[in-house]
Amino acid sequence: MKTITKRAYAILIFVFAFFFGLGFMFYTFLAEGEQWVTHRCNTHIFSKNGLTVAGTIYDRNGAVLATTEDDIRIYNEDESIRKATLHVIGDSSGYIATGVHSVYRANLLGYNIVNGIYPILSGDSDSDVRLTLDATVSKAAYEAMNGKKGTVTVYNYKTGEVICMVSAPTYDPANKPSDISSNPQKYEGVYLNRAISGVFTPGSTFKTVTAIAAIENIPDIYERTFTCTGKYKTGDGEGDGEVICNGTHGKLSFERALNVSCNSVFAELAIELGPQKMTQAVRNAGFTEGVPIGRITTVRSSFDVSESTNLDLGWAGIGQYTTLVNPTQMLLLMGAIANGGTAVNPYIIEESSSLSQVKTTESTAIKLSPETADKIGEMLRSNVKNYYGDKKFPNLEMCGKTGSAEVIGDKSHAWFVGFSQREDFPYAIVVCLQNGGIGYNDAIPVANKTLQTLFSLQGEM
Amino acid sequence: MRQKEKKSLSDKIRYRHRYVGKTFILLILTVFQWTSFLPVVFSGETDGFFSALLLCVYVSFEWMYVTVMHFAMKKTNFELEFIAFFLSGIGLCLIASADGSKAMLKQMITVFVGVFLYDFILWFIKDVNRVMKIRKYIGVIALPLFAAAFLYIKVAVGPINGAYNWIYIGSLSVQPSEFMKIVFIFVGAATLDKLLTSKNIYLYILFSMGCIGVLFLMKDFGTALIYFFAFIVIAFMRSGDIRSIAFICAGALIGAVLIFIFLPHVAARFETYRHIWDDPLGKGWQQTSVLMYTVSGGLRGLGIGNGRLRTVYAKTSDLVFGMICEEMGIILGFVIVISFAVILIYAIKCVKNAPSSFYSISACAAASMILFQTCLNIFGITDLLPLTGVTLPFISMGGSSVICCWALFAFIKAADIRAYPQTYKT
Repeated sequence: MKTITKRAYAILIFVFAFFFGLGFMFYTFLAEGEQWVTHRCNTHIFSKNGLTVAGTIYDRNGAVLATTEDDIRIYNEDESIRKATLHVIGDSSGYIATGVHSVYRANLLGYNIVNGIYPILSGDSDSDVRLTLDATVSKAAYEAMNGKKGTVTVYNYKTGEVICMVSAPTYDPANKPSDISSNPQKYEGVYLNRAISGVFTPGSTFKTVTAIAAIENIPDIYERTFTCTGKYKTGDGEGDGEVICNGTHGKLSFERALNVSCNSVFAELAIELGPQKMTQAVRNAGFTEGVPIGRITTVRSSFDVSESTNLDLGWAGIGQYTTLVNPTQMLLLMGAIANGGTAVNPYIIEESSSLSQVKTTESTAIKLSPETADKIGEMLRSNVKNYYGDKKFPNLEMCGKTGSAEVIGDKSHAWFVGFSQREDFPYAIVVCLQNGGIGYNDAIPVANKTLQTLFSLQGEM
Repeated sequence: MRQKEKKSLSDKIRYRHRYVGKTFILLILTVFQWTSFLPVVFSGETDGFFSALLLCVYVSFEWMYVTVMHFAMKKTNFELEFIAFFLSGIGLCLIASADGSKAMLKQMITVFVGVFLYDFILWFIKDVNRVMKIRKYIGVIALPLFAAAFLYIKVAVGPINGAYNWIYIGSLSVQPSEFMKIVFIFVGAATLDKLLTSKNIYLYILFSMGCIGVLFLMKDFGTALIYFFAFIVIAFMRSGDIRSIAFICAGALIGAVLIFIFLPHVAARFETYRHIWDDPLGKGWQQTSVLMYTVSGGLRGLGIGNGRLRTVYAKTSDLVFGMICEEMGIILGFVIVISFAVILIYAIKCVKNAPSSFYSISACAAASMILFQTCLNIFGITDLLPLTGVTLPFISMGGSSVICCWALFAFIKAADIRAYPQTYKT
């Protein structure tokens, strides 16, 4: 009898295995439940028309950007605001993968494992989300873009709040156009938030990076004098082996070269620095890591001169060649320069009852010394002050750099990246208009209109 | 003489007191069952009214059964019966809510049949010597019958959901493999004096391989696994020979690998395992639905009738665990499956005082079988194990399954020293 009792107790191993399995099952509920419950196939929250239940999304001033009434998702009453905030909020069907509707869906449902989604189904859920966005500024930016594709993104470089993140082409989520799939020209990549998922040839805005590399690696850079003959001969590569300049600038200093955006000088500097130092500069500028925006991470930029000729390296140094940059990474670099070398990561969720987040976090991707940040900051200030003109940005004490990135077979991308030096107006901006023309002519006015709207709103406060 | 009378009087009083304790549990059970049925009754359909009538029948049956067994049959303890009534009641509630009163009636009748079979088996195995004499013949008759049933299904019925395990008698559908479980344990368990005779165990191995072979031909791999697991438990308890059992397991594993290599259509049945989210609307639908809706309910559930898993195929049979979690809460779902583990622990504890090793072995085998089936079910539908399509004991819709579970409980009950009060009174 005793042996059989012992043998019976051995079966307890199986009982332990069962409890282990059950524990593991519960662990998967905890770890993956959020993903499961927010899945598109969950008919509690999705119909074929999209989300049927979800909390309200407010902008920083309490304006309703999206809410649910009678199982239907409805948006702000202003069409421009709807279009300007679409990519941050996301559509209700989840096509825009980086939108709040997708990424923070569990928060909008007020989901947790204890209550499941019972509270929101029974209508007494506290699942609202307040964003850092300003609807009015977003609208102004969208309207200033005037139908061009691209993005305008503004953030507070001291706190990290994203004030505006407009991506175009966009559409009105309240009246979703029927020709989205049949008109690929007009709606090219319409579900992509270009600020997060887009990469573009940076053009002359990239000279900021080359300039930083020069400041850090060439001790007598400020004493040097350069000569621009309208082109820079590298002596190798295809064709004539020349980097063509946008003008014939004659003799000029380093600072003046950035002012006038002289291709010859920056191609010469890039070649002098060499591929290793240029690659290191790109890494230090944070371009090789995605920028975290809460739970969202932007795509990485690409810069590869490992097998390039001097000619290629020259072009790469002025933001051409195969270089592609994500606009938010450019914005973060501006934030780092403005903030004395330390970049603050952007965030978009101001307040959410079911989400506790550390809002202000410092970027570890950008490595920029305070001295270099001051120097390059002065040069960017000089660009506006001595070249573009402060008239372009009344009252803002702007620093910045334009870019007109050449694209094969199309109009150039118009860029402006910069920030305000005013203590009471700590904002950085990136404007990138895809095939939108010339930076100076096309991007600067968009940047100014956006920032002026923000400036006047701040004056009212 | 006077003293004896006195004693019997105090016995009588104690007896009445014990009954009061039982009515208290019955009362809790009744309240729970009526509360969980309220949403069904007030669903606004006339069907809910019929369900309520059926519940009246079920609850009265519980009361009557306990009362009769207590006073007429002098049964002292009802823990297993209470658990079985509780679990069956949850099944009835979900079936009434999702499939209507007609399905509930069917299920309820099978519960009654199960209770009857439970008491019959309990009576039948009371005399161990009788069991030892007759089990050989039962084995010899049952296995060919089982094989014949398979041949009949293969020729006359055809596969249902890819497996040949359903016989139709009029509108009744019967699963022979479920009833065979009872025989399997009955034949497997042995008394102490037969434990170490090798001839006995070789015959049993032959019998087991025969059963499992038929199940393979039926393509009911989940049930085959359950049989195999019960076989391992019985073989271990009879022989204690870990080396042989490891050898058998290794052999089975090699066999399984060979099947996967040489029979790709078998392997194809398991191709969605760990890939359910690749095709959430197609092949992974049942499991992704279980996961989505289980967590949607949270720990406390959305309330009966408010779930969405009830729109998915096999909601009250294979997927019923998900339905419990979604509508009645993950806590209740876990309590239910943990109760199966508690029953196995109870069976193991009974071994020490069991009157015969036949009871010890059959109780542990039956309880292991039930818990193993629970594992295959709940871990299968949540994609932690491959989906094998077995039912959740007592709760899933399916008459054969419910009857078999009640019958298996008889083996567990028999191992409890208190099961036969008159025989073993100390």
